[in-house]
Amino acid sequence: MSFARRQHGGPLLRGLVVLGLVVFVVWSAGPVVWLIVSSLLEQQALISQPPDVSPSAFTLDNFVQVIAAAAALGKGILNSLMVALFSTAVSLALGAPAAYALARLPVPRANNIAFLILATQMLPGIAIAIPLFIAISKLGLIDSVFSLGFVYLSFNLPIVVWILRGFFLGIPVGIERAAAVDGAGVFATFWHIVLPISIPPLAAAAVFAFVEAWNEFFFALILTRQSAQTVPLVIAQFAGQYQTVFGQMMAAAVISVAPVIVLAIVFRNQIVRGFADGMTKG
Amino acid sequence: MTAVELRNVSKSFGSHPVCRDVNLAVGEGEFVTLLGSSGCGKTTTLNMIAGLEDASSGDILMNGQRVNDLSPVQRDVAMVFQNYALYPHMTVAQNIGFTLKMRRLAAADIRARVEKVAASLELSALLERLPAQLSGGQQQRVAIGRALVREPRVFLFDEPFSNLDAGLRVRMRAEVKELHQRLGVTSVFVTHDQEEAMSISDRIAVMNQGVVEQFGTPEEIYSQPASRTVAVFIGNPRIELFPGTVARTADGTFCRIGGVSLALDPRHAEGEVEIGVRPEHVRLGERGIPAVVRMVQPVGPATHVTLDWEGGSLTASQPGFVRLAPGSAVRAEIDPAQLLVFDRKTGRRL
Repeated sequence: MSFARRQHGGPLLRGLVVLGLVVFVVWSAGPVVWLIVSSLLEQQALISQPPDVSPSAFTLDNFVQVIAAAAALGKGILNSLMVALFSTAVSLALGAPAAYALARLPVPRANNIAFLILATQMLPGIAIAIPLFIAISKLGLIDSVFSLGFVYLSFNLPIVVWILRGFFLGIPVGIERAAAVDGAGVFATFWHIVLPISIPPLAAAAVFAFVEAWNEFFFALILTRQSAQTVPLVIAQFAGQYQTVFGQMMAAAVISVAPVIVLAIVFRNQIVRGFADGMTKG
Repeated sequence: MTAVELRNVSKSFGSHPVCRDVNLAVGEGEFVTLLGSSGCGKTTTLNMIAGLEDASSGDILMNGQRVNDLSPVQRDVAMVFQNYALYPHMTVAQNIGFTLKMRRLAAADIRARVEKVAASLELSALLERLPAQLSGGQQQRVAIGRALVREPRVFLFDEPFSNLDAGLRVRMRAEVKELHQRLGVTSVFVTHDQEEAMSISDRIAVMNQGVVEQFGTPEEIYSQPASRTVAVFIGNPRIELFPGTVARTADGTFCRIGGVSLALDPRHAEGEVEIGVRPEHVRLGERGIPAVVRMVQPVGPATHVTLDWEGGSLTASQPGFVRLAPGSAVRAEIDPAQLLVFDRKTGRRL
């Protein structure tokens, strides 16, 4: 036997809801669609007022030229991949046990500690940019993928701790008690029971951390010079002193967001479940 | 020999006392139930026996040894939880065998013991399924299997049937009782269902507001409740209570409830009391107190007839089906030998 989904409100209310959702989708997806469209337009068609979007103006030349000059973009993608994977992996490896300890172990003032961890994210980036630059330059680590990865780790770790702590708080205590009666200590419970059932929030946290590191521009700009430049900086270089090659810039951007979009599509179920569990059980 | 003993065990969460001076002695192979309504401290008591909660004060002993500072594993207890607490990512076989894996048994040994337990619980065909693919009853069996495979010294059950539907609950209850009779392992069971407690236990500890009100056999608890609280908690339909006055006359000792006098055992002293009448001790017939039928509830083996009389409301449980119309006048005879008399102030049975 099946039950029809309950309809709330009358046709007017439902119409308003649909209209609101359409506006939201257009608002959210519009820039992405325009990014893809403009990456396929000739420079002249793109800068004309209004832009010429007739079929004859479309071309793959921008992609051909960006791929032909692939060295810079390729290096940028590789650097981005390294810093994003490093900061994601380490933030999960450190964040998951920290979140579990704050959620479940008898840590004195766990809530205060959790709030302090979150509070580190409340400072605007610009406030820490100069001290961070001085510290890293004194260590001789400017233009290093390693140092950029560490900086991103410091941004990602608190968020990972918060996402995972919310989920861990929602795990029924009975499961961990059963594990204790079965002879599992704290570490065995975490490793054999808690982590395997936390794959959705772990995936959500991982995607969040990866995307944050992949897209970050400001700190990459001040902490790198040439060899450690990440994708956003490479894309920005299409804006020259005398001319901005918009089409190629957009084509490079399309290529650079592809891994993130693939990641989001592959893990979409885990991401949604992960964030939803964190919100409802936290 | 005493398998589990609690001596003056108390537990507080912050300033809130949950258990106060709990004293219990569970014999080797005995099946004891902690019975009470929610918040009475029964699950906390069980968790303290398991080692999942620390006692604030008092001693917990197992086979004469103080175990307050031992972990659940060191106490050698196995527990079945209210929500089954199965590991959702593990198959039935992995769930049952997890405790053996933690004890570093060889894979072949684990497999053999898991298969033996699964066969005894009719779970053999389900060993490769995940908990989400099982029915409530099957999940409960897996939880019991997980406890059985350890061959523990003490079984602990925390309201294990509360999530099952009524029919399955009765079946599982019988299965656990049979299992206990077969294995003879000391068991402590927690429930709020008095019928469950009565049917399954050797002895019952009735708890109320963190205190053990009475610890005795099901018959003692039912027939000789130590207090009004126990009398009200045990029995369905519940006991009816009427304020009365005990008076001694030349003809004997009586209790007056309004204009009605009920004969009492001569040992009762004069004073203000509360009289408890269980529905099965009220007979409808030609003699007795005049009353009017308010409601008739046939339940199969018996019919519960709710009456209005001078003293208030009274339920009479009659065998079989009784055809009576609401509003009809009847007479109710109360068996004086079965009356329960409570001190009106303290609530203790006199």
